[in-house]
Amino acid sequence: MATDTEFGNTACTNYEAMLEDYLDGALTASEARTAEQHWQSCAACRGALQQAASSVRLLRVAGPSDGPGSAFARTVMARIRSAQGDLSAERAGFWQPLVRLGWRFAATATIVLGALVSYDAGWGRHAQPNVTTARLMPVSDIFGPDPAKAPANRDEVLMMVAETNHAK
Amino acid sequence: MEDVPKSMVASAPALTLPLDRKGKKEEDRELVRLSQNGTETAFEELVRRHQQRVFALVGGILRRPEDVEDVAQQVFLKAYLGIKRFDQRAAFSTWLYKIAVNECWDYLRKKKVRPLVYEADLSEEQVSRLDGIVSADRPPESSSARAESRQILERMLAALPEQDRQLLVLKEMEGFSVQELAEILNLNVNTVKVRLFRARGRIMDVYRRRMNPASKSADSHSAQRKG
Repeated sequence: MATDTEFGNTACTNYEAMLEDYLDGALTASEARTAEQHWQSCAACRGALQQAASSVRLLRVAGPSDGPGSAFARTVMARIRSAQGDLSAERAGFWQPLVRLGWRFAATATIVLGALVSYDAGWGRHAQPNVTTARLMPVSDIFGPDPAKAPANRDEVLMMVAETNHAK
Repeated sequence: MEDVPKSMVASAPALTLPLDRKGKKEEDRELVRLSQNGTETAFEELVRRHQQRVFALVGGILRRPEDVEDVAQQVFLKAYLGIKRFDQRAAFSTWLYKIAVNECWDYLRKKKVRPLVYEADLSEEQVSRLDGIVSADRPPESSSARAESRQILERMLAALPEQDRQLLVLKEMEGFSVQELAEILNLNVNTVKVRLFRARGRIMDVYRRRMNPASKSADSHSAQRKG
């Protein structure tokens, strides 16, 4: 059955692909015979085939379009390299804030650590008790009443008398 | 980095269509493997081999010569960035051409432009010149005459639906096979054949109308009567 298209081309729908193959020289000998037998009896297909054959001549008058210049491949490679550079810069840019934060943290930690160490060293020196003095001081000096002071009660008076006698 | 075998490096910068397609495909596979391992010269060789057809494909879809080079460069850049993911189940050319087609659609969508449409009609002089060329059945020799014929043809092709135009340009002007077109455009092979055949009838109809304006006005009168 022939089909009418918007532009007035007519051909049998089930022969269109075969006619295209015929134009392309893609049919086997037996397929070509079948196609030829069909359009001998089908004026619509015969007309469509003639029209299609004319289109081949018409469309080939211009030939293929001009290709790229000889420098095209080099230009492409340069663009690839530049894109790769941009890509790695972009990747570095993505991590940059984190790296900066890391450096800041490290610097702060170092300063704090230094301050702690120096403070610790300085404080230690002042706070350490004078062990030698403590060791030489007699026990009685620690627990006994201060000799410069006058005894305040009876117990202290007795303690003072006992010490005086003991010393004798 | 591995070196590209000297036998694979094209001596001429422009690509010539391969006589031995199978051998060329095998070489492409090897070049792809080398590129996947980071050999830049192997990829550069792939660019040299396929640049002509990528240009033809992009030009066939965009019809804006000033944009073709930029889009073609973008196609190869995308191919380079994605080549490690390419598993070589399909031919490199098919994979590359699909990237090219997608890149063209992206480009047209981003720019919010339709492929260029020639509004102006053809002058009588142009029509008779084209008729002379078609009758002679051989392409014009000078590049300027070829460019002019192409321009006239493009104007006629603009009257067709976009897909018809693309199929005809890629098949008849740029030399893509039906099989290639089916793979690139994700269509069934039979669908491509049928669409191509119908598109041929349509372009000849446009041509006849241009050659014989009387038929054009008769058509419009009959259309008015139908309306």
